[in-house]
Formats: sequence, C-alpha cells, structure tokens
Amino acid sequence: MASEAPERMPVLPGTLDLIVLRTLYSMGPQHAYGIAARLQQVSEDLLQLNQGTLYPALVRLEQQGHIKGSWNRTENNREAKFYSITKAGEKALKEETVRWRRMSNLVENLLSDEV
Amino acid sequence: MRRFFLRALNPFTTQKAERELMREIEAHLALLQDDFERKGLAPGEARLAARRAYGGVEQAKELHRETRGFPWLDHLLKDLRFGFRNLRKNPTFTIVAVLTLALGIGANTAIFSVLDAVLFRPLPYADSNRLVTLLNYGTGPIANANYLDWRDQMHSFDSIAAASYWSPNLTRDDPPEHLYGLQVTQNLLPMLGSKPLLGRLFVPREDRLAANHEVILSQRLWQRRFRSDPAILGRTITLDGEAYTVIGVMPADFKFPPFWATRTELWIPDPVGADPQNRGGNHLRIFAHLRKGVSLRQARAEVAAVTARLERQYPGTNRNVEVTPLKQNVIGNVETPLLFTLGAVAFVLLITCANVAHMMLARSADREREIAVRSALGASRGRVLTQFLTESLLLALLGSAAGLAVAFWLIKILVRLAPAFLPRIETITIDAHAILFLLGVSLLTALLFGLAPAVQAAAANISGGLKEGGRSETGSVRRNRFRSFLVASEFALAFMLVVGAGLMVRSFIALQSDNPGFNPHNVVSMVVSVAGTKESPTGPRALFYDQLLESVRALPGVVAAGGINHLPLAGDLWGWDFLIKGRPRPRPGELPNAVYRLVTPGYFKTMRLPLLSGRDVAQSDDTRAPGVVIINQRAADVYWPGANPIGQRITFNTGPNEKPVWLTIIGISADAKQDDWVSKPGPEVYLAARQNADFLGAAATHSSYITLVVRTSGDPAALIAPAKKAVWSLDRNLPISEVLIMDRVVADSTALQRLELFLFTAFGVLALVLAAVGAYGVISYSVARRVREIGIRISLGATRAELLRMLLADGLSNALRGTVVGLLGALVLSRFMGTLLFGVKPTDPMTYFGAAVVLGITALLAVSIPAHKATRVEPMSALRTE
Repeated sequence: MASEAPERMPVLPGTLDLIVLRTLYSMGPQHAYGIAARLQQVSEDLLQLNQGTLYPALVRLEQQGHIKGSWNRTENNREAKFYSITKAGEKALKEETVRWRRMSNLVENLLSDEV
Repeated sequence: MRRFFLRALNPFTTQKAERELMREIEAHLALLQDDFERKGLAPGEARLAARRAYGGVEQAKELHRETRGFPWLDHLLKDLRFGFRNLRKNPTFTIVAVLTLALGIGANTAIFSVLDAVLFRPLPYADSNRLVTLLNYGTGPIANANYLDWRDQMHSFDSIAAASYWSPNLTRDDPPEHLYGLQVTQNLLPMLGSKPLLGRLFVPREDRLAANHEVILSQRLWQRRFRSDPAILGRTITLDGEAYTVIGVMPADFKFPPFWATRTELWIPDPVGADPQNRGGNHLRIFAHLRKGVSLRQARAEVAAVTARLERQYPGTNRNVEVTPLKQNVIGNVETPLLFTLGAVAFVLLITCANVAHMMLARSADREREIAVRSALGASRGRVLTQFLTESLLLALLGSAAGLAVAFWLIKILVRLAPAFLPRIETITIDAHAILFLLGVSLLTALLFGLAPAVQAAAANISGGLKEGGRSETGSVRRNRFRSFLVASEFALAFMLVVGAGLMVRSFIALQSDNPGFNPHNVVSMVVSVAGTKESPTGPRALFYDQLLESVRALPGVVAAGGINHLPLAGDLWGWDFLIKGRPRPRPGELPNAVYRLVTPGYFKTMRLPLLSGRDVAQSDDTRAPGVVIINQRAADVYWPGANPIGQRITFNTGPNEKPVWLTIIGISADAKQDDWVSKPGPEVYLAARQNADFLGAAATHSSYITLVVRTSGDPAALIAPAKKAVWSLDRNLPISEVLIMDRVVADSTALQRLELFLFTAFGVLALVLAAVGAYGVISYSVARRVREIGIRISLGATRAELLRMLLADGLSNALRGTVVGLLGALVLSRFMGTLLFGVKPTDPMTYFGAAVVLGITALLAVSIPAHKATRVEPMSALRTE
C-alpha cells in the first residue's frame, strides 16, 4: 500500500478549525482563498479540500469570536474578506495546540507500541 | 453561548448574511481565476477551472447556511413558508384534507373532553383517590349498629363517615318546596377537605344531638330560596315543620354526594339518631378515607375480616360488604360505554389519517419532478423528508384549528343529548387538557398520514423523476401496494364501526320495543308531600289522600288517577324481606325479598298495568279490613313455582320477636319495569296503601308523601297546572315536586343508550363516507395515471366491459380484503360490547351481514364511478396525453 502514489486525504474531522487558526496566527490576516492556497501549499497538495468547505469553519470561528473578518483589497486590487485572529482566538489556538499534541502523542505511542 | 444566540438569531439576519456570502464566494472565485490566468489559462478556461477547483457553489452555500444558523430552525421556517405556499397553490386538496382532519380530530377532542370531565379528572375532594365507600354489594345501604361497630373496630381508615338520604319540606317560605338533603355524621365534611363559604361546619357534639337542629345550605339553595341573604347565618328555617338554624353555606363548586343522592342541596347532622342498636334498617351510606400507607387491598382484607366476625355474632347483617373507591361508584355505570366510544372515535381518526395519506401520496407522486429538482440542488433526503412532514404538520394544525370548532359544536350536542345522570356533565368543556390532547392528536395524525408520503418522496430517484417528465403509467409497485393497504384498512375500520353502529341500532330497537309492563302514554305524575303540614299526622292523612285523589279525578280530561309510594323508573326502589306463612323460617340473610310498593285503588287502572289473575285493591281494603297484597308474575314464579299463590299469606314483620301482620295475596300483576329499563324486573309486591300504618303516618319520616299518577284523554302536560291547583285548593302549604310526563320518564330511562346510538351511528356513517371517498380517490387517481395504458388496451381491442371488470376488480379486491379483516376485528372487539347491548348478541349474524352489504354497496359505488369514466376514454386522446 505504501509503495503506491501518495493518496490525497480528506481533512481530519475537527482539525480544520485548528488549521485555520494556526494559518492566520502565523501569516497574519488572510482571505479564504489565501487560507486555502496556504493549506494546499503546506500539505504539498496531499490535502484534499473543496475550497467551498472552508466557509463553515470560518463562520463557526467568527461566531465563536476567534476570528474577525473585514472587507479589504488584495494586492491585485480584488475585493476580498480578510480574516484575522483575535485575542480569544490566540488563546483557543494555544489550548487546542496543546490538546492536539497530547492526542497525537497518545495515538503515536499506541501505534508504535503495537509491533 | 454567544454562538447559540448568533445562530438562533440567524433566521432574522438571513438576507444580510446571504448577500455577504455571495460576495465572498464571488471574491474567492475571482482570486482563483486570477491564479489560473497567471498559470497561463485563457480567461474563459480559467473561470471554469476556478469553478471546478472551488467545488459546488450551491452545496457550499448550503454548508455555509447550516453552520451559520441552526439548520433545523432555518429549515423549519423555510419549510413552513414553502408548505403554506404549496397548500395555497392547491386549495381543493387543502380544503378537503383540512375538513377531513377537522372531523376526525374534532370528534376525538369532543369525546376526549367528555371522558376527561366524567372519567379521568379526580373527584373534587381533598385526597380523593383515597376515598372509598363501604356498601352492601357495592351499592346498598348499611344499618346503624353495623356502621358504629365498623367505626370502632376498623383501623384501615382514619375517618369513617355515614350519610342518609333526607328530603324535607321547606315550608313557611313561599312557595313550599320539597328539598333534597342529606343527614351526615360530623366527620364527613372535614374528611372531604371541604370549607364552608359562610359560617362553619358541624362540630363533634352535634353528632348525637339532632336536637340542635342545625343545617348547612348549598350555595345554590341559598341563592335560589334566600336571595343570597348575607344575614342567613343564625336564621331559622322550617323543614318538615321543625325549626332549623342555618350555621353555614357551602361554596358553589361543592357537591356531595357525587353519586346516589346527587340532587342534595342541604345537610343536617346525625344520621344515626336515637336508634344506634338497629341492625336491620339499612339506610346509611358509608364513606371512608384510607389511612396513609394502607392500600385498598389491605383495607378490603380488614373489612372482610371484621364483617365476617360481626356476621358470626349477628347472622344475616354483615354479608357482602364491598369496599369500592368512591370514584368507581361515580363512574361505574358509564365507564365502559364511554371508553368504547373513545375507541370508536379513534377508529374514525385512523380512517381520516388513511384518507389524507392517500391524498398526500397522490400529490407527492405528482411532485416527483419538484423533488428531483430539489435534490439536484443540494437538498438531502432528510431535508425532503422534513419538508413533507412539515407540510403534513401544517395540514394537521389547520385541521386541528377547524377541529376545535367541530369539537365545540359537538360538545354542545353531546351535553344536550347526554342523560342527566351522567356524572359531572356540567364540567364538560374544552380546557387545557383538551387543547393538549388536540395538539397531541394533530402531531400523531401528521405523523400517521405524513410519514409514508414523505418517505416515499425522499426515496424518489432523482434522474428518474426528471426523465419521466412527471408521469409514470403504473407507478411503483411498492407505492401501489401501500395505497391498497390504506384502502383495505379503511374498509376494515369502517366495517368494525358499521357493525358497532348496527349492533347499537338493533339493541336500541329491542329496547324501544320492550314492553315496560304498563302503558306510559298520556300519564302524568307528581309527588305531593305532607311532611310538616297539618295533614302529616296519622288521622288526617288518610282522609287527605282520599280527597286528593277525588279532586284530581274530578278534573276534566282525567281518565283515571291513583297513588303509589315510588313511581317505577323514576322513583326510589325499596326492597323488603318477607316470610311466607306455613314455610319454615329461612336462615338469616336468606329471606325472600321483593321490591316494596304501596298503592291506592286505581293505580293499576291508571298505569294500565294488567292484573293477570285475582283482584285489584279496593276502597274497602282499609285499616279495618284484613291485610291484602298483590304480587307480580316474577314473584309468583320465584316463590310459588308451579303453584297458585292467590290466597297464600306473607308478612313483612320478619324480626324473630316481631308480631307478624299477615297479608293475603289477592292478585298477580304483570311484571313492570322497576328502577331501570335494561334489567329484567325482579319479584315485586304491591301493598294496599290505605291499610299501611307507615303510609298513613305512623312515625315514619320516609313515607310522608304520595306519588299521584293521572291518566288523561289528551295531552298530559296540559293537566299539570289544573292538578297542582286542585292540590293547593286543599292546602296551599303542600310542596309538589317531581312533576313528570311518563313518556318522558321512559325516554330518559334509555338516554344513555340513545346517546351511544347517536354517537355510534354518527361515527359509522362518517366512517362509511370517508372510506368511500378514500376508495373513490384511489381508483380515480389510478385511472388518471393509467389513462395511457387504458388507451392502449382499448386500441388493442379490449372491450369496455373487460376494462370495467378489470378496474372494478382492482378496487373491490381491496375493499373485500379490508372487510374480511374488519369482520375478524369486529368479532373480537364486539365481545366487549356485551354489556352495552340489549336483546342482541355481539355476534348477531344479521348485523354482520347487513354491515357487509352496506360496505359492499359503498365500495361498488365509490369504485364504479371513476371506473366507468375510464372506460369512456378515447384511445387517441389518451395516447396523446403527455
């Protein structure tokens, strides 16, 4: 199985919010397209993401007050909604990161234990 | 939390959010397009590539919407709007469906309201679930000494109270009136948790001191007779010629007792009086409150033990005492008929549901294309399902609103038709319970009639629906099968209801044609009471009764007149033990017993109650002549089987130390109805009133009145006023009560059966109509869908007769299947109707056959009209229908 060409995989449920927050945290304000492009780039095109599916995450995060959106112009002079991370968002990111690490360590340990 | 509010608010900010979303998606697409252009694609190709990379725009919007708000709330509002539009677009469907539902739901709500008021609601007393009665065979009264023994020896109850019927004459206040009251022990009213509106209740010392002569009035009596006099407390009123002091007034909603003497309007203390040793005179009704932690079963066990012990001590005095929850006494007679009615009306609702489900199914089939389009645009199966269910709910709610009107109207009719003895009838209203029930029923019906069409719609195949152009010839097999099932179940339910109605009709005809023994036409009766008047003592009373009858007989239009103590069907019923001369004395408690009536000469003639042998009582049968008695046929059969009782002698002085007064049997009368129409008359005796010491005033309070019966040549109602005048010309102070037209008495004695007849017939007819409409609708629908097939068959040479046969067979086979199932159901269910029926078996083959014929004709009519239409289809135009 591992020898075949790398398969595109869907975003792990529940991780999209974390990914979006982290992207905005490290890159500063971004529009949805920018976020999607960044994800594509970081994942080396392994992540399979219909760009439309970003919106639910953005709406959710905005309603939770973790990000804020405002309309602005891109360098190509296109109109776009730019999202930036808020104080509450940074806090949530920190907590979520810790949790994610803990979880992935746990899973990793379990998996390596098995052999 | 913040998110919850934002989401909940969403439906109200939708428009803004939608615009924002569109803007954002467009910006996103533009950026994507820029990107592709930079990679060297032509602008047109870049736009397409951007679209592809983005994914489905509509799906993205839908996802966005779902996260933005609560999708269900959003969808619900949208579905409601859409549903409303849909229903408005199709007014015929909507009106028919809403009306059908209104009938079903309305009828159910009305019947529920009746049951709720009469059966379900607790009695209006404190802790009423722990109130019980202790009565002979669950209904009969108890003697003083037994009550006192129980009170002292039983521990299951924290209160044991007794009440005795008492109906005094109110005199000195004009006009004189015969009132209905109760003598109660002091602990009775406190046991019920009752508080007076004015004044106080009886206090303990009064129990043994009737001399106090205190009285508590009902609010109604206070209002009616004393114009709500605020100074009523302490006022003296004259009851049976004696002075009583008013010490309290009970509130308007206080009614006691809830069964038996239900017309009670006033209460006095001390029912035991000066005779606490009496074990033979049964007159007390015992009411008790179960002690905390004591179950009904434990109480029954204790009562059984105590009465068994007392029975050994005083044989024949403590048998068959039953402990019954008070509520059971109240609703016992009407519980079964009412529950049966609820069952019947629930069947009607099921038929209603099946009918509306048909209509929805037909409509959802017509909407296949719409559904396919909606699915293509991103509606999930769940969404289509909920959309359809919302429409059903909307229909059900509209139906309930209209049903509420139906229920109001139906309750009005029911209350008017209901027999007066139906307990708590005045409390029947549409209240919060009924509204809750209504909403519950509409939810349930929405599910019942909406689920199948909704599931079917949701399962529809997208591309199939689009391709077919919305018209399939034969429909899916599964759907047809379901529709057949609906028709069959409608006919099954309708058959059961029609059988129920048929049995009721047969039973009612049997009841109506049953002979009461006497001829009630043109007879009027009234009670004239002498208690507390100058005619009350022994001497003047006999003379007064003679004069009374004479003056009534002298009135124009009077054919005959007579007197009796208690009128059959309307009056009280006294049973009395007796001994037969020359036979060994039976063991205590096993004495012969008969309904005990006292008559004057002329009673049999007036009532046209035939004497089968012997002679009538005569004017000469007075106190100086030897005692005589007439017995009914039943008494002769039971106590003198195969022998001639005339000339035999009996006595009602049965006590071992009593001096017997022997009465000679002089005649045998036909059996007359006793206290109810349905039961077979038991043994009965008629003593000569003019030689009976009690009747003539010997210290007996219970026999201080005479019931006049008068036969007229014309309208008996016209005689009421002259007869009253004749009575009052003898003494203005005499209360006249219970003025009754005998025909009305007879009609009233079958009022419950008449009500049941009305309801069952109404439900049966309604069921038939609904089933017919259902069958008609299904066949016309399937014919409409099969027009092309029919056209092809005709052009291929099928004759009209063949076509007609095919379509009829299709429709009728469902009805037939349903009827067979209904037949089995009716056979099972009707067994429970046994107690409701009179003179007809629950499995009466005539009724079943008749019901089958009625249903067959209905089905044939319903099916043949659309089938006929179909055979007249022009093949060419049918084939062109597309």
